[in-house]
Amino acid sequence: MKRISVWLLLAALAVPAPGDEFTEEDLKRWKAEYMKVMERGEKLFHSPLGSNNVSCDQCHPNGANTHPETYPKFQKQLGKVATLREMINWCLQNPLEGKPLALDSDEMIALEAYIHWERRGVPLAPGKH
Amino acid sequence: MKRRQFLKGMGLAGLGATLPFSLVEISFAMGTKPAEHESFTFAYISDSHLTHLGGTRFTRNFDQGLRKAVMEVNLMDPKPDFVVYGGDLAQLGKREELDHGLELLSALRPPIKWVIGEHDFYLDMGRYWEDKISPLHYSFDHKGVHFVVLNSILTYEDWIARWPTAEERMANMARLDNPHGSPFLVGEAQLRWLAEDLAKYDANVPVVVLSHSPLYKIFKPWNFWTDDAEQVQKLLQRFHRVTVLHGHVHQVLYNQIGNITFYAMMATAWPWPYPVSYVQKPNQVPKLTVFMNRADPFHERDGTGWDILDLDSGTITNHYQLWMNENRTVAFDFKLKHPVDLKYQDPDKRIPPQFHY
Amino acid sequence: MRKPISATAAGLCLAVAVNAAEVSLPKERDLLGLPPVPVPADNPLTLEKAVLGKKLFEDRRFSADGTISCAHCHRPELAFQDGLAVSEGIGGRKGTRNAPTIINAAYYTTQFWDGRRPTLEAQSKDPFVNPIEHGLKNHDPIVGVVRSDPAYRRSFERAFGVKPAQITIDHVAQAIASFERTVVAGDSPFDRYLYGGDKNALSPAAVRGLAVFRGKGRCVSCHVIESSTALFTDNDFHNLGVGFERIADRLPEIIAAFRKAKATGKPVDEAVLSQKALSELGRFAVTGDVSDLGKFKTSTLRNIALTAPYMHDGSLKTLEEVVDFYDRGGFANPMLDGGIRPLGLTAQEKADLVAFLKSLTSSRFATTGR
Repeated sequence: MKRISVWLLLAALAVPAPGDEFTEEDLKRWKAEYMKVMERGEKLFHSPLGSNNVSCDQCHPNGANTHPETYPKFQKQLGKVATLREMINWCLQNPLEGKPLALDSDEMIALEAYIHWERRGVPLAPGKH
Repeated sequence: MKRRQFLKGMGLAGLGATLPFSLVEISFAMGTKPAEHESFTFAYISDSHLTHLGGTRFTRNFDQGLRKAVMEVNLMDPKPDFVVYGGDLAQLGKREELDHGLELLSALRPPIKWVIGEHDFYLDMGRYWEDKISPLHYSFDHKGVHFVVLNSILTYEDWIARWPTAEERMANMARLDNPHGSPFLVGEAQLRWLAEDLAKYDANVPVVVLSHSPLYKIFKPWNFWTDDAEQVQKLLQRFHRVTVLHGHVHQVLYNQIGNITFYAMMATAWPWPYPVSYVQKPNQVPKLTVFMNRADPFHERDGTGWDILDLDSGTITNHYQLWMNENRTVAFDFKLKHPVDLKYQDPDKRIPPQFHY
Repeated sequence: MRKPISATAAGLCLAVAVNAAEVSLPKERDLLGLPPVPVPADNPLTLEKAVLGKKLFEDRRFSADGTISCAHCHRPELAFQDGLAVSEGIGGRKGTRNAPTIINAAYYTTQFWDGRRPTLEAQSKDPFVNPIEHGLKNHDPIVGVVRSDPAYRRSFERAFGVKPAQITIDHVAQAIASFERTVVAGDSPFDRYLYGGDKNALSPAAVRGLAVFRGKGRCVSCHVIESSTALFTDNDFHNLGVGFERIADRLPEIIAAFRKAKATGKPVDEAVLSQKALSELGRFAVTGDVSDLGKFKTSTLRNIALTAPYMHDGSLKTLEEVVDFYDRGGFANPMLDGGIRPLGLTAQEKADLVAFLKSLTSSRFATTGR
């Protein structure tokens, strides 16, 4: 009995606060992590990612007209209900005449982070054309 | 209260119908009689953004847009009196791009009047354009109408001086949503020139101003804007019929400010979104404009085109040649004293593709 | 006026259709992958009209010399087309356009390669009076036959409730259109795979071909496939450059010649079929907009394996040639459609794409054609 309570005491001292008690610092830090990725996405978004010197921002300044809040939706160009990332790949391959990114790649996540950031505050409207 | 403030408060529509003739005359000089001159038609091709990839290769998409416009202008019947090239022939101001553009445009049969855009200017500060293509600002008369061409894409000297290389300067002007950009300017020198130029003309001579950037303020984050626009407008105030034609925005856009009608010309290269689509910043997109149809990015020519302009009674009817879409016609309404889309101006007549968000 | 029989009832009335010669109202199974057949409010679809329409469709009396019926170019045993590059009408007179199949034509929102007629009804009246097709001067001889022939008199009374003196060419058109609305089918291996849940319906090559069709091939934006149906057409017009080189150098004079012919009141119909150069004008001949030069209607790809040769002038003989043509980026010209560009397909991708196209043959029509 005594041994168990010693272990419990040690365990309690060794572990920080229980799982979901995150702090203001945590929030700040995690937000900063996101913003770093978002900024990488902004750079990618403004670079020629395909083979014809065209960059995303040429048709989508500040990510305008990407409508991330509407996905998943029926995407005419893909002939099916699709996600934002699939459409990003469609744009990379078609208007930008380049190669697609892996759907879970860092670059894809960064692009998505930027596109969402520029559209922050707009309510979800899934399926909207 | 000043008459002008009173009238502004009343709003533009229906002014002519509700106020005595004399008030309308004094408020802003528009004249109730259409100007008399020989009617004529001209064409407007703009914003081709030819992009050099290396060697003799150029981005195929943008080449195609310009080729199509040139072929269609050549097939116009009756033929236009002249064609305006509205600026941004090149994408990064490179000689290869300008030369390629000149080659494609050399097939045009009517004479060309040139307007420079920022993508043509900022690599070498307009030197190649001035040497090889055209003066940067000038005026001419055609069948009783006075045309003024402005270089409205100048900017502040300290911004220009900031960049270590010409390429960086050009790249920073090329990026539309650049947080380190700089607003367009006509500038003091041109304003003085404009004042002198206009002084020679009677108030009832129709005036058409050609510039690349819009000579009014729409959306500063994307430089749909000219910082000294009001000063240009002030110089144009005494004329009865003034129209400004501009490029740069790559979309159907039209407005009326006082006595001046503004029409945006289409791009042959690609469409820009409307500033209403960027929700993080406020915009001043004219409520008058019936938006063009949202483009399908699969079809490269969707959202692009050129313009046929009829000059009649001192005002311009703009026949937007919208590839892949129904053409739109926007004309000056003498009763309402502003431009209207002849089919869609009534809010009940709008169609879903015109709704941008 | 007879009430329209529901599709299920029609299915019960008739034995399972075994060949294209039997007329029946569209059955649900045949329509797998297709939306319901569009039927205009002013011409409800009935079996009586469709049966009458088939008879009219095959009646050779409706021509100047008694030899040409609609079925002459739209042969039921050849998937309702004639297998020629361009069709040949009365006296062997050669036209300028490839005969489109009737199969699924009911789903087009315009008819003819240039969309000059808005409905099946309107389309059906033109070939009768075209000098290169049936060669009649006007529709009077047709109306004369249907008003006097006893079998027709009875059929028109049953189908439209009209007495002989009341029969007009528009009744004829409505009957023919009604017949054409029964010449519809989805239910191809592709449909069974994508919409019928049968993952074995397509060969591995065709499955890869479907991915190319939707992806690198860039086909799906014009040859539309959606989540529950596929029309394989966007009902729009595009310039691929096919045949454009025939007129590219002489456009101003050809356009002037066309405008002159139009000013004399000559129907667009006649002008484009009789002269090769004018035929290449495409949709421009209908709209007068130079932006429409060389544009032709997107064909449905259903049953495409049965309807060689291909394109508005029949200039591409095989599906392989068609795929090669698109892979090259069509025929470059200033009016080339913004959706057309070189594709960079591998030999494997091209072969897979052809395999996919061959999977679009409806079971109902699989025995027709070559």
